[in-house]
Amino acid sequence: MKKFSQLALPYIIWSIIILFLPVLLIAFYAITDSGNAIVNFNFTLQNFVKFFTDPDFLLILWRSLSIALKTTIICILLGYPTAYFISRCKDRTRNILILLITLPMWINMLVRTYAWIGLLSDGGILQSLLNLLGFKSTQLLYTEGAVLLGMVYNFIPFMILQINTSLSKMDKSLLEASSDLGANRFQTFWKVTFPLSIPGVISGIALVFLPAVSSFFIPKLLGGGQYFLIGNVIENQFITVGEWNFGSAISVIMAIVMMVIMYLVRYVEKRNSGNRREKKV
Amino acid sequence: MEEKVLIKFRNIIKEFDGTIVLKGINLDIYENEFVTLLGPSGCGKTTLLRILGGFLEADEGAVIFDNEDIKELPPYKRELNTVFQKYALFPHMNVYDNIAFGLKIKKMSKDVIDQKVLRMLKLIGLEGFENKNVTTLSGGQQQRIAIARALVNEPKVLLLDEPLGALDLKLRKEMQYELKRIQQEVGITFIYVTHDQEEALTMSDKIVIMKSGEIQQVGTPQEIYNEPVNKYVANFIGESNVISGTMIEDYKVKFDDQIFDCVDFGFKPNEKVDIVIRPEDIDIVPLEQGKITGEVLSVLFKGVWNEAMVETVPGTTVKVNMNVIKNHDVESEYSDERISANDFYVDIEEVASLDDNDIIARADAQAWKESDDSYTSISKIEHNLEEKLGEYTVTFQTASGLTVSRKIIVVDQKFVKNEKANEAVSAFNFFKTVDEIKESVALDTDLKTWANAIGWKLSNEDEAVDIYVDYDFDPENIQEGIYQVTFSTEGRELKVHTTDYVEEGQEVGLTFEVEDIHVMEKMGF
Repeated sequence: MKKFSQLALPYIIWSIIILFLPVLLIAFYAITDSGNAIVNFNFTLQNFVKFFTDPDFLLILWRSLSIALKTTIICILLGYPTAYFISRCKDRTRNILILLITLPMWINMLVRTYAWIGLLSDGGILQSLLNLLGFKSTQLLYTEGAVLLGMVYNFIPFMILQINTSLSKMDKSLLEASSDLGANRFQTFWKVTFPLSIPGVISGIALVFLPAVSSFFIPKLLGGGQYFLIGNVIENQFITVGEWNFGSAISVIMAIVMMVIMYLVRYVEKRNSGNRREKKV
Repeated sequence: MEEKVLIKFRNIIKEFDGTIVLKGINLDIYENEFVTLLGPSGCGKTTLLRILGGFLEADEGAVIFDNEDIKELPPYKRELNTVFQKYALFPHMNVYDNIAFGLKIKKMSKDVIDQKVLRMLKLIGLEGFENKNVTTLSGGQQQRIAIARALVNEPKVLLLDEPLGALDLKLRKEMQYELKRIQQEVGITFIYVTHDQEEALTMSDKIVIMKSGEIQQVGTPQEIYNEPVNKYVANFIGESNVISGTMIEDYKVKFDDQIFDCVDFGFKPNEKVDIVIRPEDIDIVPLEQGKITGEVLSVLFKGVWNEAMVETVPGTTVKVNMNVIKNHDVESEYSDERISANDFYVDIEEVASLDDNDIIARADAQAWKESDDSYTSISKIEHNLEEKLGEYTVTFQTASGLTVSRKIIVVDQKFVKNEKANEAVSAFNFFKTVDEIKESVALDTDLKTWANAIGWKLSNEDEAVDIYVDYDFDPENIQEGIYQVTFSTEGRELKVHTTDYVEEGQEVGLTFEVEDIHVMEKMGF
């Protein structure tokens, strides 16, 4: 047995190299200043100071977090009923619906986002439709709304699939038991179905919130220059400005922020269900 | 005990995908009864329970609960609670919250809920478990909590759907007593679904035996055991010897060519009946004192008693000759096609009804290509068969013209009659090649087919009798030659439970009391 597990060693080493090395490199860049020679490094926290003392960067960070939060909330509000509906369908219908939901994901995200530009642009289909309905010509593209739409559109399948999985694998006899004990459909949903689907919602949040926070091409394409998010700042630092150290520092800050947030979400969930399960005497 | 009907099933019919699983169930269930729905899986017992619980709707019929038709009521409005097969405890709640679920829905005050839950925990013997996580409990404990969760709502009826199925034997026995105790303590109706007859006998006040969507018998465990209405019930509950016989007149029944006194009456004269005698009701006595006699075939030690199989009527036997011949396939000169067939015997009475397909089957005629082992069809059969004794020639031919000729021997087949056992057996001599015997994967069945061995009841030619095959050659190493094959019926074997010492091969007398013979109507089909 021991010998057998040794076979995994090359794989483990390889994983360490491809998974951790880039992260370590980013961390390393974040705490050094630019212009390093290969042999002597200047360690510094200047990059972090720069970020936290500039109100513009903090505003962008706040804006990124808030739009990711909005995206996540909208995805839950739209995704949960959809997933609930899908999970109640017969096997065949369910498979078809899941296929329909995942179908857009077969096409490159970038291409799909470009398609939205066409739909939302001045004189595009949506605007013409609104005009027809008597709404005044309004700007659709390059607004916060457009960015939000793009994010929800791109990330909602992850939410639906996660919630649907946890709802579908739920033991149906629990629902019967609840009904048997006097709970109507509404009560059964809030007391049994919903609490048991929370793990699905949590993984949905992770899959939507994290990419939404750091997304850069959706705000770039649908927000135009008007709507700058933290992902765009990082991209700029690396590609336009060439400040790799500062870009790395922002990435590290983002990583820590997201870790804290996910930890908080799980902590809240655990404490809630823990309370229900085992009150320590 | 005051007898008040609580639930009435009236002509309940239920169909799933074209299969009728309940064929018009009528059943009354009284207050404070422990009723068991007993039957094999697929008999409709769970479906009936789910209709009562409100999880399924009957296609036809009415369910009357406390004088009210509850067909339209959803489960949550019915005054009954269910203990589910796999408990269905809520995994996100602790023991307390699981039990309190129904009470919280009814918005009872916290004090009342506390009191009731604690009382339930006491009833099921799990005091101090209220804060435990249900998923960490053992099967037996989860089971008790499921019962408590249902009972705390003070239903008029508790439905239990095979609740002990997932427990091991020892725990199951404990829970049987436990359930009975709980039922007696809370004094409500329990409707219990199981396929385990012992469970049913131990706990029930009333047993409902079901088969293929129909009720076979309703009665107390004693009634069902002592007075089964038919063969099915007799076999399902306890061990029994079921013998077919004839009711000569009231109090006189005939089986195995002997007339016995009995306590049953009300049958038509000479009506065909089934007779059940329980193994424990038969006593082994010296030969000359027995009502019937027989040879002990086997004895099994069962702890408290011995189980002896006693053959009271020997079986019927026919011996035939099997002619084993060399491989005699005919090869085509032009291709790799082969054809083979065997000589065979046929009864003169059968000749008229013998068609080409029968002849191919009886001669085991086959044609095939040697290269790829694919079968080709036999396209033409010629013969000069007549309804007279003698030998005739049959020729089989394939599409490519390859032929083989074989003999059909028409004989006047004698069969062996056994009046005492009310049966007859016939079989034919037959021809087979060495290869066919070696290649057979189920030789007993093949031998029966090849010899066309059949057994039937003398009283009813359409009723088949099982036939057993015996031979003393080694099929792996068989050579050409003539071998004897014996086909025989089992005869009458009675199972006897006795505490006396008996030996295999011993001739014994058997006796039983007049009231131990229980006569039942033949089952309709």
